[in-house]
Amino acid sequence: MPQWTNLTGGFRALFRGRGSEREMDDELRQWLDAAIADKIRSGMSPAEARRSAMMEMGSVEFVKEEIRAAGWESAVEAFGRDLRFSFRVLRKSPLFTAVVVLTLALGIGANTAIFSLIDAILLRSLPVGHPEELVQISRGSLTNPLWEQLRDRQDIFSGIFAWSRDDFNLARSGMVQSARGLWVSGDFFRTLGLQPAAGRLLTVDDDRRGCAARAVLSYGYWMQRYGGADSAIGQTITLDGHPFQIIGVAPAGFFGMNVGSNFDIAVPICSSAAFDGNRSRLDAYSWWWLNAVGRRKPGVGMAAVKARLAALSPSIFAAAVPRNWDVESQKRFRKRVLLPDTAATGLSMLRRQYEQPLRILMAVVGLVLLIASANIAGLMMARAAARGREMAMRLALGASRFRLVRQLMTECCLLSLAGAALGLGFARWGNTVLVRYLSTLHNPVFLDLSLDGPILGFTTAIAILTGLLFGVAPAFSGTRALLTEAIKETHASDRGIRRRFRLWIVASQIALSMVLLVTAGLLLRSFRNLATLDLGFDPGHVLVVAVTQPLSATAPETACQEIEARLRALPGVVNAARSWNTPLGHSQWNTNIRTGVPDAPRGDDALAYFNRVSNTYFDTLRMQLLAGRNFKVSDTATSTPVAVINQALACRFFPGLNPVGRTYRAEGPARILEPPVEIIGVVKDAKYESVREDTYATVFRPISQMPEFGASTFEVRTPLPESVMAKAIRGAVAGVNPEASLEVHTLAAQVDDSMTKERVLAALAAFFGAVALLLAMIGLYGTLAYLVNQRRVEFGIRMALGAPSGAILRTVMRDVLVVLAGGMAAGIGLALGVTRLLGSLLFGLDPRDAATLALSALLLALVSLAAGYLAARRATDLDPMTALRHD
Amino acid sequence: MGDRNGSLVQGTLDMLILKTLALEPMHGYGIAQRIEQTSHDVFHVNPGSLFPAFRRLERAGWIKPLWKASENNRRAKFYALTDRGRRQLKAETEEWSRQSAAIARILEAC
Repeated sequence: MPQWTNLTGGFRALFRGRGSEREMDDELRQWLDAAIADKIRSGMSPAEARRSAMMEMGSVEFVKEEIRAAGWESAVEAFGRDLRFSFRVLRKSPLFTAVVVLTLALGIGANTAIFSLIDAILLRSLPVGHPEELVQISRGSLTNPLWEQLRDRQDIFSGIFAWSRDDFNLARSGMVQSARGLWVSGDFFRTLGLQPAAGRLLTVDDDRRGCAARAVLSYGYWMQRYGGADSAIGQTITLDGHPFQIIGVAPAGFFGMNVGSNFDIAVPICSSAAFDGNRSRLDAYSWWWLNAVGRRKPGVGMAAVKARLAALSPSIFAAAVPRNWDVESQKRFRKRVLLPDTAATGLSMLRRQYEQPLRILMAVVGLVLLIASANIAGLMMARAAARGREMAMRLALGASRFRLVRQLMTECCLLSLAGAALGLGFARWGNTVLVRYLSTLHNPVFLDLSLDGPILGFTTAIAILTGLLFGVAPAFSGTRALLTEAIKETHASDRGIRRRFRLWIVASQIALSMVLLVTAGLLLRSFRNLATLDLGFDPGHVLVVAVTQPLSATAPETACQEIEARLRALPGVVNAARSWNTPLGHSQWNTNIRTGVPDAPRGDDALAYFNRVSNTYFDTLRMQLLAGRNFKVSDTATSTPVAVINQALACRFFPGLNPVGRTYRAEGPARILEPPVEIIGVVKDAKYESVREDTYATVFRPISQMPEFGASTFEVRTPLPESVMAKAIRGAVAGVNPEASLEVHTLAAQVDDSMTKERVLAALAAFFGAVALLLAMIGLYGTLAYLVNQRRVEFGIRMALGAPSGAILRTVMRDVLVVLAGGMAAGIGLALGVTRLLGSLLFGLDPRDAATLALSALLLALVSLAAGYLAARRATDLDPMTALRHD
Repeated sequence: MGDRNGSLVQGTLDMLILKTLALEPMHGYGIAQRIEQTSHDVFHVNPGSLFPAFRRLERAGWIKPLWKASENNRRAKFYALTDRGRRQLKAETEEWSRQSAAIARILEAC
């Protein structure tokens, strides 16, 4: 109850304002009157009584202040006064305010942007009911037979589901119109605790063998394509040529189970049967495509889940053994154990890829903010010195030092909060740009970056922290009571300790910039190493055309041959080829091979990667043939099986021998050896899957000798741009099979996509390195200019006495050199310690790379000297007379 | 000024004010006078501590302000004890007696 009266009383006082002041005045006057009357009664003269009473009362303002301080509202009032005063002060120096707020916005914005990504990718829980109960059942993917066993045998989850991501083509023919799809098992939505935004969601009944083709849309896709209309329910949508009926819409905000992507359409797993013809993935024992997640029953801990899954594993795996595996592999398969993991934050490729880069970026932007804070601290100190007179005056008028410090800190917090508000805007924009850069052709990145508690909390926290960081020192040094000196305003005061402190700040800024420059330098050079790597093929001016024909196509192979011929005949096309996979594409085909050479790798070490290509493939991609011959028209299904291998395979499997004319045998299903294949040529090494890989041992087989497996990706070499060629290409494909759909992109884009992480990291590090350098130089220049200004009387006298301007310049530049040397030495030390963390992110580069270190140091030295020189010039540009007359 | 009440701790002043007001509503100067008189000039209360104490007690809901005409017929602010204040005074007095008795016993024991 007392708290309540206290609260209401405080509010009443706050809102009554003047009224409560007047009451206080009345009451105090009443006291004085009573005291005077009393004293007169006891025999004093009226004048004497008045004097005595006033003395007993002391300062009326002091008493009033004490009364005010007895209620909590006084703190609010004082804060309000500080705030209003701060506003006024800041408005009076708009340039200073703008510089500080912008610098802070940059620093805080960068931190918020990176933290938002960390929050979205690493920290945020899935937007479903009780995400903490979700358990990822196996780290690897599962086959459908495994999933069915798991679903039917488990007894520890209140719900369990499987899903897989896929791209669906919405167009019936022609250019592919991609939609991000999700194969989901029946209990997907119920287990996640989701309610439909419209219509109904898929249930267990929708996911039985031979099910009807039904689809659920994501909320975003429903909005985008159907404008959120209820009439969408019941409509038909075509996925890869198969009609699906839309039955409902998932709730807003639900993006699927994979953080970093979202889905457009979810369909039941059972409906995949229609997509696969006679080799359905539902019954494929080695088609690994599903992820499984369960929801723990209440009270069942992770340990219990783990134990139960371990106990169930033998029977589950035994019932789903891939039957075409050899005995040894089957035995190992039966011994596998399901290892659960928490799935509260979903699954994410992006997380695995970007966890380390994000941590590094967070450190980088943290350093940038530190440099920015140091700059502002420098500015604040200069300002505090300039406001020395004001502070001294206020101290003299009776303000406590605490009051002044509080006032100055309020100014700082106001500045940093303004910076944070603007920074939040920067961050929003930065995030949109970043997400765009993280996206690749096949993986458009989607992240839920909406502002949430952690982000706002983080931004506010760093804003206040930086406010304190750049505010404390200037506030205390600025209010140090040097009354007489300050009021006289002499210039002798700001030397010694304070000057050295300022130079220290600049030196530490230089040290931190050095660390950032080295980091940026290393990442840039590493990216350059990757980007200029000899890929083994020429990705420039090549278009990749992926063609899909419906399952019903009568002679797909003949059609492909025809398409290849037509593409080659298009005007502007230099050459065209066909293959199963393109370099750095997203497919892999590998098996063990045997060569009969004594030193060759054996068993599972003898893995080789395969591709099927047409005769013109090497020419079109400009892959150099080093020995032997290329495929010829005479290599047909009935002639001797032939292959072209790459250098890596030649070196590993035929050490010191000429492989041309020799043979290898590949392991087929159940490790049964296939008939020997003759090697007819060797091509230069080319990347198979990733730019970073050590080139894979690769075998190229002519399509003509294994036509039954199909190969429907075309490579078109043309100097014309994609936009010009796309129409002609579409025409050529449609001319052969009007029902075929196709997708066109440049090979260069495919190469670029494989370096997304390195490119983004290098670009960001370079950007922040440049920002850090700029800030440090502004700091250096600002500090020197200020110090020169402080000493202008001294310089004026020296010049008047005949000192050459060179001598003055040297005096100032000596400071620059000391600061630079100190900062750089510390920076190099720090950088050597810190860059080790970059280790695995660097490609073909040592974290202590001497050239990068030297270049960064050189850049920093040059820029520092230039900034220093500009500031020093202000000293020599002084007119001695003006300088001396100033006071 | 104020030297003599250096030992008058906050809680004690609050209790003295409540005790003084238990008789009748009074204004600030009257309260101070009464405390001085009844303590035989042991306690001297100055406005700098008295008025903040009024504000505190008022906020706690133990006393309430009354505007009345003073002896010389001017509008003056009086303070009166509330029911809660009366209860508080009782509790504090009991606590005080308990403590001072205990302290007395300790001192006698030596």
